[in-house]
Amino acid sequence: MKVKASKFLLVALVTFLIVSTLAACSSNGKNTSTDTQASSNAPSTESDSTPKEHRTLTVEVFDRGKPGQPDLNNNYWTRYINDNFGKQYNATVKFVTVPRSQEVEKLNVLMASSDAPDIVFTYDSATVHKYVQQGGLTDLGSVLEQHGSALTDYLGDDILKYGQFNGKQYAIPAKRTFLAGFNTFIRKDWLDKLGLPVPTTAEQFYDTMVAFKEKNPGNVSGVIPYAYILSSTNPGVGNIFESFKPSNLTEKEFATLQASNLSVPPWNLPGYDKAVLYMNKMYHEGLISPYFATDKDGKQSDADISNGKVGAFHTNWDGPYRTAPGTYTNLKANVPDAELIPIGPWQNDAGKHPKQGYSPNGIYIFVPKFSKNADLAIQYLNWMADPENTLFLQNGKEGEDYNMVNGVPVQTGTTTSGDKMMTVANNLDYDILSNGIELGDPEKNAAAVSAGYPGFEKEVENALKVSMEDYYAPYYYSMPNEAESKYRSQLTSLSAQLLAKLIFAKPAEFESLYKSSVQQFMDQGGKAVLDDYIKNYDAQNGQ
Amino acid sequence: MVKKGVFYYIKHDFRLYLMLVIPVAYLLVFKYAPMYGIQIAFKDYNIFQGMNSSPWNHFETFKQIFSSKQFFQVVRNTLVLNGLDLIVGFPAPIILAILINELVWTKFKKASQTILYLPHFLSWVIIGGIVAQLFSPTGMLNSLIADMGGHTFPFLTDKYAWVGTYIFVGIWQNAGWGTILYLAAMTGIDNQLYEAAEADGAGRFKKIWHITLPGIRPTIVILLILQIGNIMAINFDRPFNIQNNLVMDFGDVISTYVYRVGIQTADFSLGTAVGLFQSVICLIFLLSSNYISRKLGENGIW
Repeated sequence: MKVKASKFLLVALVTFLIVSTLAACSSNGKNTSTDTQASSNAPSTESDSTPKEHRTLTVEVFDRGKPGQPDLNNNYWTRYINDNFGKQYNATVKFVTVPRSQEVEKLNVLMASSDAPDIVFTYDSATVHKYVQQGGLTDLGSVLEQHGSALTDYLGDDILKYGQFNGKQYAIPAKRTFLAGFNTFIRKDWLDKLGLPVPTTAEQFYDTMVAFKEKNPGNVSGVIPYAYILSSTNPGVGNIFESFKPSNLTEKEFATLQASNLSVPPWNLPGYDKAVLYMNKMYHEGLISPYFATDKDGKQSDADISNGKVGAFHTNWDGPYRTAPGTYTNLKANVPDAELIPIGPWQNDAGKHPKQGYSPNGIYIFVPKFSKNADLAIQYLNWMADPENTLFLQNGKEGEDYNMVNGVPVQTGTTTSGDKMMTVANNLDYDILSNGIELGDPEKNAAAVSAGYPGFEKEVENALKVSMEDYYAPYYYSMPNEAESKYRSQLTSLSAQLLAKLIFAKPAEFESLYKSSVQQFMDQGGKAVLDDYIKNYDAQNGQ
Repeated sequence: MVKKGVFYYIKHDFRLYLMLVIPVAYLLVFKYAPMYGIQIAFKDYNIFQGMNSSPWNHFETFKQIFSSKQFFQVVRNTLVLNGLDLIVGFPAPIILAILINELVWTKFKKASQTILYLPHFLSWVIIGGIVAQLFSPTGMLNSLIADMGGHTFPFLTDKYAWVGTYIFVGIWQNAGWGTILYLAAMTGIDNQLYEAAEADGAGRFKKIWHITLPGIRPTIVILLILQIGNIMAINFDRPFNIQNNLVMDFGDVISTYVYRVGIQTADFSLGTAVGLFQSVICLIFLLSSNYISRKLGENGIW
């Protein structure tokens, strides 16, 4: 009796299983067929200037999880977009949030389930390459020609070329209006107290850190001369390696050995070992944050800087002036006479202070193959390229949210909270086309950028100058590095582990550990990436 | 005995079957249906072509996995961490349950039980934050040690010490919750046995050894089988939130590896293949531990 009942259950289970599998199967099949239909339709869609049918355009937006942020799909900015672009093109623009810190993971899932919005973007070029390789992106060439004249004018070939893969325009790169990368900051008041000059070389910097440690000019408990953050997403030693990198590298050496600029350290670059050894030495002298490996998100460092325990640190060129996390503001509140200045101590053998910045392209904007709105997407970007719209999206309404002073918008402070809150300076999450403030003129931009940091206008102007001293951009490749899009994330996390171990290692073991680390890095994909770069470099330069 | 048809039983226990529908449907939808996706492991999965149209790749994914050093490292770490959890962590709730059971003062017993359960309800993200605050090189514990003139201890930064921290934190979180089943089993033990033992002059330890422990033995065996069956399966949150770049030699386990490779790199084929491998090993462990326990005369789980 018992056997019979359980048998029945088993049969029921199996039937259910088969039925559900079939259901999943057939629905899947349907999906793919509509997908292909959509993609074949998209480029040929006849859309003219007066569209009759109401359409919905979905656009990705970063959710930065800022306290007090408004509904990201219904606020001052989205209403402006819908009231203007929406009315003009008879469309509704809907925003789909993606957490900023997990954008690539989330995007992968959205793409795989065909749920991604019509306009998606990422900073990660490896991800874009992968989508291109898998044939998941719409070729925007023809729609760009048809609907994107203002867009093409605004970006120009110099920037559009970054979005071309195998001769096809698969992505629209945003324009980066500021190419500055990183800065090293130091407590000027500590230097003054000890009567020390601003360090201009790596050795001087080291000696200064030793002095900070020994004399503790801030009179704090647990002084941290140099706050070091080993980021898991961009692991590295900051600009320090510039001091140890020979100045006479050939273009090919530079292009191939220092290609993956930020997310993977240039392990094979001559002098990089010395830079890591420098960090190792600092660690063992107790000059850098003892918790650098466990402070995964850098929050502890931020707190220590704010509390005045830190003598120097390396971060984004405008790091301490940013409103979030507001390190400098907090520092000033805690230690009223504290003074932070950007410095350039990483002098190379030619007496220069080279700093790698960003390439002129910003975020990659693209349209998934299954989207039916490629034309509308380009129209949207084209609309955004209009200086008037850019100005509004980045600054708000004149007289209300900003005032023009000497041709430069100065914020009135209405956009820091509530419905109009910008979750990032200049609203870059909505104004995706420009990375950084865009007034159509580099000089005005430079003047305007400082206005975006209320209270620190002068300092920011100076920081920008310091970070652009001997600036250089990463080498431009016209073809994607296939190995890199495959191995990048793994190499990034591996590099973070290797760097942590190397900085932690006993000085006597450093050399052998460095060798084995590089070997491990090369074995796990580093070699494939390097080989691809060499191959691509040769192909591009006709060798 | 007259054979009765399927419908007789359905009609007879109609309500019971109706109640069963929900859990069975849950299992079908969330546990069985996703198995359809296992085919990704055998395919060159292209997220845009979908599961069905992606081409088969002739076990290329598995070849890639078994030729990678990293894979064996994460398998080793998973086995070591789970093995230690088994050796150190498994007896902890048993000892705790016995201790609680021996308490006579009911109020204290209730209060301590509740306090011991609480960590179970904390998410690992929060526990990860607490661990960082307590054990980091400048954390509370190390500050205390340093202030008392001692040398700081690398709880999180030395890989061997990290394993200890990992195991300790796991016990702290789970031991209290684990006592529930044992305590329930203990209430089932006949009180007469204790009274008889007392009459024979048995002390407290004798009673624990000869009555309480044998009384909960079936529970112990079943939980042990289940845990051995899970030796290759490791939850994601715990290692992920406690690990850091210095201890990845020991801290990188299958689940975090799958997350990194499968989700972050979007190499879904590889992630699925590793997951499948893990499940198969788990199944083998489960079946063999069940078999052994039955051979030893205990009841297995089936």
